[in-house]
Amino acid sequence: MTQSASSRPMMPWLLIMPSFALALFIISYPFFNIVFQSVHDVSRFGMIRDFNGLTNFLKVMADPVFMDVLRRTLIWTVSVVGGTVLVSVPVALILHQDFYGRGIARTVVMLPWSVSLTMTAIVWRWAFNDEYGMVNVTLQKLGIISGPIHWLATAEWAFPVEIMVGILVSVPFTVTIFLGGLSSVPGDIYEAARIDGATPWQMFRKLTLPLLRPFINMAIVLNVIYVFNSFPIIWVMTQGGPSNSTHILVTYLYELGFRLGRPGEAAAISLVMLSMLMIFTGLYIRMQPKESGEA
Amino acid sequence: MEVRKTKQLTKMALALTAACVTSIMAPMAHADTVRVTVAYYSDQTEPYFKKMAEAFTKANPGTDIKIEMVNWDTLQQKLQTDISGGSNADLAIIGTRWLLDFVKDDVAEPLDGYMDKSFKNRFIGAFLAPGQISGKTYGLPIAASARALYYNKEQLAKAGFPNGPKTWADVIAASKKIKAAGSYGFGLQGKEIETDVYWYYGLWTNGGEVVGKDGKAAFASPAGIKAATLYKSMIDQGLTQPGVTNYSREDVQNLFKQGRVSMAISAPFLAKQIKKEAPNLQYGIAPIPMGTTNATYAVTDSMVMFKNSKVKKSAWKFLDYLFTKAPRVAFTSGEGFLPTTKEEATAPQFADPDTKAFVALLPHARFAPTVTGWEDTAKAVSDAMQAVYLGKAKPADALKKAAEDANKALGQ
Repeated sequence: MTQSASSRPMMPWLLIMPSFALALFIISYPFFNIVFQSVHDVSRFGMIRDFNGLTNFLKVMADPVFMDVLRRTLIWTVSVVGGTVLVSVPVALILHQDFYGRGIARTVVMLPWSVSLTMTAIVWRWAFNDEYGMVNVTLQKLGIISGPIHWLATAEWAFPVEIMVGILVSVPFTVTIFLGGLSSVPGDIYEAARIDGATPWQMFRKLTLPLLRPFINMAIVLNVIYVFNSFPIIWVMTQGGPSNSTHILVTYLYELGFRLGRPGEAAAISLVMLSMLMIFTGLYIRMQPKESGEA
Repeated sequence: MEVRKTKQLTKMALALTAACVTSIMAPMAHADTVRVTVAYYSDQTEPYFKKMAEAFTKANPGTDIKIEMVNWDTLQQKLQTDISGGSNADLAIIGTRWLLDFVKDDVAEPLDGYMDKSFKNRFIGAFLAPGQISGKTYGLPIAASARALYYNKEQLAKAGFPNGPKTWADVIAASKKIKAAGSYGFGLQGKEIETDVYWYYGLWTNGGEVVGKDGKAAFASPAGIKAATLYKSMIDQGLTQPGVTNYSREDVQNLFKQGRVSMAISAPFLAKQIKKEAPNLQYGIAPIPMGTTNATYAVTDSMVMFKNSKVKKSAWKFLDYLFTKAPRVAFTSGEGFLPTTKEEATAPQFADPDTKAFVALLPHARFAPTVTGWEDTAKAVSDAMQAVYLGKAKPADALKKAAEDANKALGQ
């Protein structure tokens, strides 16, 4: 209260300065390093050879595999994020109800979150094993399939399986966001709606969904960033194979950089990825004020 | 050769022991410290190098040896980070196929100045050659292995081949009988590291080459098409395990250990694993099945010295020590590799039939050529084979495309 009006705007800047400086320091070094590598010919073992301008970028763009991978990355991101939201909304609604054993149910839904992504992927790799994986065994015992399905041997199965695992590991985080959102929705508006004779579906469409919208948006943005960059699931389960048919950008750049020994091109791809995420984040920031006005 | 066992706990324990060792050795002041980057072959590797370091320090007070253990999967990544940051060790184990990049980047020290004739003479010539580039020696063969056909004695005896198949036609004939008995015949690898090599066996034994004398891809040849067609027809007839593109090298080896497939091509270390994990399995070792000729694949890993090392003299001394008889015998027999020096080859540890069977194959052995773009070729061929195995491409088309891709990187 004793602060003068002119000094007030300075305060937030001073408070944010230490963490901002730290973030800038941590981010800028690798960033400039990547930019530097992307415009140089870099040897397998990281020696910078000659400046080569945009050659790395042009090489990457001319690679038909890259275009395939780019397309698949979009499919991956849209499917995993879309699937996650579709699954998480009903799950959150159910967990928001008061029922016997809710605490246990919530814990079970959250559990996958506590396991590292790599471990989850390894477990699923086993589960989808042709010979002794639990998925094939279960399906065969139930009489649904007659012989084992070769889940990870072809892209037609492997990629959907990976998307499914991707959805599974993203659900806990998303449900947490939605539960937070639901708890901020006041209960009396539902009572009012019920008195007016609204059906449960109408209540969901007209009340829950609009009030949940900011949280859904936040879940979409955060998940897009995580999923777009998600490495372990695909790398552990198929390493982008067979025949490059399950690569997404991040696994492809790892293979280029650390397997095929072309760190320069890998750096170029990572810059392409960075700019894609920047564009997406920019779109999100532009969407922001409108929402908060509505809400 | 890159035995991959990601046993985090073991590694942590090993790292701890390494830390203890260094802290014990730390008090010796004014010492040269030689840092050695070592690849993880098995849980024997670290204790072995630790012991060598101790023995060496005892004989040469004033020189510390610091062992840095890395998993094969991350070795290239570690070297890349270390070299670009100038914080690399003095000595390192590398895949010999990387040596050319080391020489091109001028980070490897030529070792000829340190070696006299008798030192050079210690080695079995075929194993020293891959470490030499344009007449200079850059890498010493620390580990070597070759490949042979493992067969399940019981199942093959029932199928009428008690001494294992000699030719690919034998493999097919035996597999048909084994299939009728309800098992899988030939274990075919279809994913991850060395998927290409598994196909090279068929290529080489049919008289083909991976890289021609002109340094360009030569595998899209009649021999190549023959080999790919052979494998594909075996898949189609159900003579391999189903879903081959789902099986990595380790997966195929596991099928063999479980008795699910009757034949699989692998390195000497599989024999060691069988003795430990499936002691009741009766296995035999035969040469790679013949098409028109005999061939096998041999690999060496090299020990290199870095050019920017400040303790080259001490580092060389340690190298010299590692390549004397007793340390070599301990390493090679502990890891299940093949002897690379003449003296160790005479040791009784290598008089067993398994090692002898492998050594007998060496005259026909092919090494990965020291050319740039070998990894790209491997990737292109692996992708092509996966497409063929899945029935997505015809052998001729897939190989032609792979050759085009490989030629973009070969010799660049």
